[in-house]
Amino acid sequence: MSYATTIDHVHNADHPTGWRRWVLSTNHKDIGTMYIIFGAFGALFGSTLSLLIRLQLAHPHGTLLSGGEFQIYNIVITAHGLLMIFFFVMPVLIGGFGNWFVPLMIGAPDMAFPRLNNISFWLLIPSLVLLTLSIVVGSGAGTGWTFYPPLSSIGHPDAAVDFMLVSLHLAGASSILGAINFITTIFNMRAPGMTMHKAPLFVWGILVTAFLLLLAVPVLAGAITMLLTDRGFGTSFFEPAGGGDPLLFQHLFWFFGHPEVYIMILPAFGVISQVISTFARKPVFGYLGMAYAMVSIGVIGFVVWAHHMFTVGMDVNANAYFTAATLIIAVPTGIKIFSWIATMWGGSLTFETPMLYAIGFIILFVIGGVTGVTLANGGVDISLHDTYFVVAHFHYVLSMGALFGIFAGFYYWFPKMTGKMIPEWMGNIHFWITFVGVNLIFFPMHFLGLAGMPRRIPDYPDAYSGWNYIASLGALLTFAGAIYFALIVYYGFKWGKKAPSNPWGPGATTLEWTLPSPPPFHTFETQPHVS
Amino acid sequence: MRGLQTIDSFLQDFSGLLCAHNACPRESEELPVPRLKAGAKDCKDPKGPKQSRKRLHLFLTLIFSFVPYLAHADHPKPWQMYYQDPVTPVMDHLYDFHTLLLCIEGTIVLIVGALLIYVIIRFRASKNAAPSKVAHNTLLEVIWTAIPVLILVFIAFPSFKLLYMMDVTPKADLTIKAIGNQWYWTYEYPDHNIRFDSNIVPEDQLKSGQFRLLEVDNRVIVPTHTNIRIITTSSDVLHSWAVPAFGVKRDSVPGRLNETWFHVKKEGVYYGQCSELCGVKHGFMPIVVEAVTKAQFEQWLVSKKNPAQTPSGG
Amino acid sequence: MKEYHRSTLIILSSLAFVMLAITFASSALFRMFCEKTGHGGTTQVAKRLPIRVEQRVITVRFNADIQPQLPWDFKPLQKEIKVKAGEVGLAFYHGKNLSPHHTVGMATYNVTPHKAGIYFNKVECFCFLEQHLEGEQATDFPVQFFIDPDIVKDPTMDDVDTITLSYTFFRLKKPSL
Repeated sequence: MSYATTIDHVHNADHPTGWRRWVLSTNHKDIGTMYIIFGAFGALFGSTLSLLIRLQLAHPHGTLLSGGEFQIYNIVITAHGLLMIFFFVMPVLIGGFGNWFVPLMIGAPDMAFPRLNNISFWLLIPSLVLLTLSIVVGSGAGTGWTFYPPLSSIGHPDAAVDFMLVSLHLAGASSILGAINFITTIFNMRAPGMTMHKAPLFVWGILVTAFLLLLAVPVLAGAITMLLTDRGFGTSFFEPAGGGDPLLFQHLFWFFGHPEVYIMILPAFGVISQVISTFARKPVFGYLGMAYAMVSIGVIGFVVWAHHMFTVGMDVNANAYFTAATLIIAVPTGIKIFSWIATMWGGSLTFETPMLYAIGFIILFVIGGVTGVTLANGGVDISLHDTYFVVAHFHYVLSMGALFGIFAGFYYWFPKMTGKMIPEWMGNIHFWITFVGVNLIFFPMHFLGLAGMPRRIPDYPDAYSGWNYIASLGALLTFAGAIYFALIVYYGFKWGKKAPSNPWGPGATTLEWTLPSPPPFHTFETQPHVS
Repeated sequence: MRGLQTIDSFLQDFSGLLCAHNACPRESEELPVPRLKAGAKDCKDPKGPKQSRKRLHLFLTLIFSFVPYLAHADHPKPWQMYYQDPVTPVMDHLYDFHTLLLCIEGTIVLIVGALLIYVIIRFRASKNAAPSKVAHNTLLEVIWTAIPVLILVFIAFPSFKLLYMMDVTPKADLTIKAIGNQWYWTYEYPDHNIRFDSNIVPEDQLKSGQFRLLEVDNRVIVPTHTNIRIITTSSDVLHSWAVPAFGVKRDSVPGRLNETWFHVKKEGVYYGQCSELCGVKHGFMPIVVEAVTKAQFEQWLVSKKNPAQTPSGG
Repeated sequence: MKEYHRSTLIILSSLAFVMLAITFASSALFRMFCEKTGHGGTTQVAKRLPIRVEQRVITVRFNADIQPQLPWDFKPLQKEIKVKAGEVGLAFYHGKNLSPHHTVGMATYNVTPHKAGIYFNKVECFCFLEQHLEGEQATDFPVQFFIDPDIVKDPTMDDVDTITLSYTFFRLKKPSL
């Protein structure tokens, strides 16, 4: 694809400065930057908690989080899950990269609703404050990120869970508003000549994600509201004591929750497609197949929710249906994997840090994907449900899928966003530390799960100590990698060489690379024509 | 149906070749479960499966070359990498099916990995300065859509078979009720007016050879070679009654009764843990099932039936 | 705001509101779904008595649970009874208020195996209403039921020779009296 671009006038003087520039911001790049900084804070918070979990589990008899008869441990795992999902992966991938690059990639001057965009971001701040309060108020919210009643209703009488639920309400509202904004922008504001079938795959990823958010998050909002009224206002939606059914909550939660996992991975799919195409110096192989694979993953994602509930005692035909529907997801996912490899095939590959992360993503996502096929089988899932096998599976697709997508995107777009280059060797070292670290953490968890170790336990039978120890070593390594990453970013800002408008060469064909690095405050005020 | 049988027989051959981990693997195949009479099919332990079992061990040892423990685990062993030894027909099937899945999936990962390595070596910029412009190949795209579909169909048939096998409730000779409480299990034998609580044994009271966090004061005693119906519910929050060696895991839900079943083929003590987060002591409410001979079970019933016992029901 | 932005905004927000509305309706919808399909072992309420009796005998077992918050004793008066498919059976549970105070309970119910729910019909059941027991009062709760004779026509029910009928009494959160 080639674009004829007009870079418009630079208006650096006509925007607010100081605190107004940020707090009152309606600029997609500034808001994107704030999302990324916010996400970095969430990541720091969430990964510190994960380090605490691994330290607690490094040896049997762990006492680090044993406060309140291990309630502290339950609070930490709950907060870890919620932070990583709602305050790290989603803000960075959707809010950060989405805000920054969707308008740039489609040649739009900004998002469709700039003020709404501002609200979407600022809702997250009170949301995070409330989540933090849920950790410290009363006995804390130790319900797990799935907060199944009755543990989250009668099991947690004090206000901590209410804080957590209201926090999720705010995060959910933020997501819905953001989703509306993205869909409107992508549908209505593409540059002349850029049909949907010419839009970069990252834009497709964000579009499908936004639809998932729009349809799934209201279900979470409804379920949370019902849970809140059950807790505070005497209703009985989920309480058997009043004719409700706790399993209804699980159905509602996973009707949201399964699309939610695709919400976290689809933007990463988009990033990986851009990165691989760039560093293979080839257009994406099977572009239409790639785009519609994401669409079908999104659609099927809505009809597989009860595969999280194979042990609740469902009808066997329902189990068989959810098994079959879940297995089908492997087909579009397979298309994506093979298309990425085919994109590299015949290319002229170079291995800058974003490309390393993209290749790491492919192999690790395949591992997480095939264990997903294992778990899709209702019969086998009986033996693995709520064991460490599940923990291994979803960390392979998220901690190595979404996270690697984030790192690939960060290293890929850092020069564009900041105008500074990060030395390649520094990024390469970071990749190898992270790659070895996360595999050390999560690969042994497959063995633990197969051997029967349940999730969410603060201490374990001594037989499980070997693999747990390895996993904890991996966590230390990964955490060291995260600190090193912070240093790299600091180095990049401080001493990084000035980035040209396109540091990645002829493979980088999307519109953002036609702009200076960093791009001016206002871009594409006159839309470019795409041929 | 014909296709289903063909795939099934292939699966049997395949699993017989690779995965004959238990002494009598075909026994479970013969289970048209409703007609199963308790104890009618004892393990015959023919010679053939023993050899294929050796082959399996060799095979698995080749894969996991540093596994110190593979045989007969009723409880988790240090550095264990695979399932505990199955002792019920359902877990036999589950184990074989999972091993089949592992073989298929391992192959897929290896193929993708090999492709990646080939691409990285063959098409690096220093070897291939001019990138090709090919961005479509309809045939290729059809192939990599169709082959996964075929693999999934191949997986789906044994998967459904396992699901329906778990669902079929054979005629049960004993019913046990497991009630989840924060944070212990209460068991009832409704037919024998037995009811008792099963609490974790604190660490300082463990006898030598007992497993920390897995041992309970009152074990569930069951006879071997008997179909046992397990019904479960909860008195407070969600719990889940699970024994890995049985292939049983069923959530305990307040206000609802759930049912599943198992048929233990081998005497022994089997350990499980609560498998649904239920509050602060979720990790401290283990499940222990001791399978004994029918005669020993009858003796146990007699010893339990004394007037001091609280009758069931309340 | 541009006009086409406005219409997109309206369409998308209505989608979100529809999803929210469906979620709130799900509580009633889920109950209806369970009652219609027997999902989760939900029993049926008989509209009329069966007109034929099949030869197949099914053992109906009885299970009773009580939530710790309700100070009652509650148990079935018979462990099991055998009925033919289509035959009306009558069973009793015994309930006793162990506290000196008036308490109100409400029972949830289901059958296992869950797939039998669609065939298990109740003609009369104490579980349809909230139950009041004065301090120390004891009473017998009857339940009249039959198993739909169509059960013999369903091959997936061939393995079912025993159905467990279960009740759990809860302390009612808000008694209507």
